Amino acid sequence: MITLKHIHKAYAGKTVLHNVSVQFPTRQLTSLIGPNGAGKSTLLMLIARLLKPCSGEILINGRNAAHYRVSEYARQVATLRQHPQFSLRLTLEELVAFGRFPHSRGALNEEDRQQIDTAIGFLGLDHLRGAYIDELSGGQRQMAFLAMTIAQQTDYLLLDEPLNNLDMKHAVQIMRALRRLCDEQGRTVILVVHDINFAANYSDHILALQGGAVRFCGPVAEVVTRSRLQALYGLDFEILRSERGFVCNYFNPSDQEREHEQG
Amino acid sequence: MNSAIIRHAIWPLLIALALAFVLVGSGLDLAYVIPRRLLRLAAMVLGGVCVAWSSIAFQSITGNRILTPAIMGYEALYLLLQALLILTLGSASLALLGHHGNVLLSMLCMLGYSWALHRWLLGNGKNNLYFLLLFGLVLTLVLTTFTQFIQLRISPGEFSVLQGFAYTSFNRADGQQLLYSGALVLGVGVVGFKTLPSLDVLALGRDQALSLGVDYPRYVRLYLALIAILVAVSTSLLGPTAFMGIFVANITYALARSSRHRLTLPLGCAIAISLFIVAQFLVEQVFNYKTTVGILVNLVCGAYFLALMIRSRGDA
Ligand SMILES: Nc1ncnc2c1ncn2[C@@H]1O[C@H](COP(=O)(O)OP(=O)(O)OP(=O)(O)O)[C@@H](O)[C@H]1O
Ligand SMILES: [Mg+2]
Repeated sequence: MITLKHIHKAYAGKTVLHNVSVQFPTRQLTSLIGPNGAGKSTLLMLIARLLKPCSGEILINGRNAAHYRVSEYARQVATLRQHPQFSLRLTLEELVAFGRFPHSRGALNEEDRQQIDTAIGFLGLDHLRGAYIDELSGGQRQMAFLAMTIAQQTDYLLLDEPLNNLDMKHAVQIMRALRRLCDEQGRTVILVVHDINFAANYSDHILALQGGAVRFCGPVAEVVTRSRLQALYGLDFEILRSERGFVCNYFNPSDQEREHEQG
Repeated sequence: MNSAIIRHAIWPLLIALALAFVLVGSGLDLAYVIPRRLLRLAAMVLGGVCVAWSSIAFQSITGNRILTPAIMGYEALYLLLQALLILTLGSASLALLGHHGNVLLSMLCMLGYSWALHRWLLGNGKNNLYFLLLFGLVLTLVLTTFTQFIQLRISPGEFSVLQGFAYTSFNRADGQQLLYSGALVLGVGVVGFKTLPSLDVLALGRDQALSLGVDYPRYVRLYLALIAILVAVSTSLLGPTAFMGIFVANITYALARSSRHRLTLPLGCAIAISLFIVAQFLVEQVFNYKTTVGILVNLVCGAYFLALMIRSRGDA
């Protein structure tokens, strides 16, 4: 269980998170949503311990995150950053192998190799195994990094916009893979997504941030409502529910709204 | 070219070069010529290891392919220290401190500089290449100017002693200094070898390294300390090597076609040692000491590096 208590974060005096207290349910998939600059990445990086909160605490399995050793934490929590920058010459397989570093400290054993194979297979990247990372497309690179995170075999996965650069098919493939990680392997996944339809259809929980504060938070069925999304994004939403899931349509304002705008 | 072939072919080549260097034109004079050459060869081996290793490791922790300890001002600092010593203690300082005292003092200076770099510039992992490059260039400029300022205030005799420190040469070291330097490099080697996989992870950058369980600030500190020792050893053994680190590192990346340090570090060392041997051989046998190792290394490496860049159009 990940619990945040009264988290406050400021960059050089500018507050970006203000008194955030939330719990992320275990073995479930939670989506962080909200407008650009809302503080989603900051929140995720705080949990990943890549940033330090100005005040407040983060509890992982009931223990203060700051009290874990770096090496110990990496066996609990795996993180994928928003824009992994990369200039090294490594093959996809070598990159994914880094995911085993917290366990093997560099000397791969049989189990490590198996986990590497599994992670690569899990995302359907077998045909790119020997490809150099700097020669992959943006989406393929994103998947390679995700595979590394999965190979880390941690209870918690923190993913900042893992659907970045992906086409619809791959985005669906990734979200299904993440669902399987939760449902079959009991992992806890927290991810930032911008596409509200992916968030609504694949997550258990949604946490919405706006201007550095929690706007709303709860199970999908409760929080994906027209009024809440309209308030969050300042757009006119239409929410259709069918057997196959939600469709949140925000592309064009309704006639009513349009008349309202024209005054 | 196949990188695996290069990786394996470089070692026989290196041995052949070393043999040629020791034997050609020696008249098999075991009493004087060959022992002197063996000493120079040992200096080249140690120096090559130091230059290649410190440059590649420094580039990995700063996440770029340009910065080397020499560019960040380590060598300029060494020269300034020597100038200050001569200014304050006169050329007697050499006798006073002895070789070992001098090496120790340089090492302390560089460890201090490494610590300062870590404290103020590199510890947070937000390495801005342009900023660091500018910083290194300006610092080198300031330190060099300061050294020149001192040079004008000392006697011509002391001036020539100081000049002796300023260029690469393999004749400086005696057997004892080589022994101590070798022991130091070996010590650094043991620590470096144990933490080699962590260096691979550090090269992924601060955030990725932390996520993978490597204590980034701690390991950067460790590596900067190791680098300081290596640079102190190489500058006091053979003087400043200026841009050689950049050439060696980049030629290594191009030939190894991999960023794994398990591959790049040994290859880099072999390349640096080969370069030294070839340059010194040419200086001794072809140019009859009418040129210097520094000039030849820059000439050969620079030309090769340019050719490599043009041939592979930027991704060298
Ligand atoms: N290093 C930094 N220094 C100063 N301010 C920062 C820094 N990083 C982020 N901020 C500010 O913090 C706020 C939140 O940033 P954050 O990256 O968490 O937003 P986000 O919700 O992830 O946005 P996006 O959807 O665009 O990724 C923004 O207003 C941003 O300007
Ligand atoms: Mg973000």
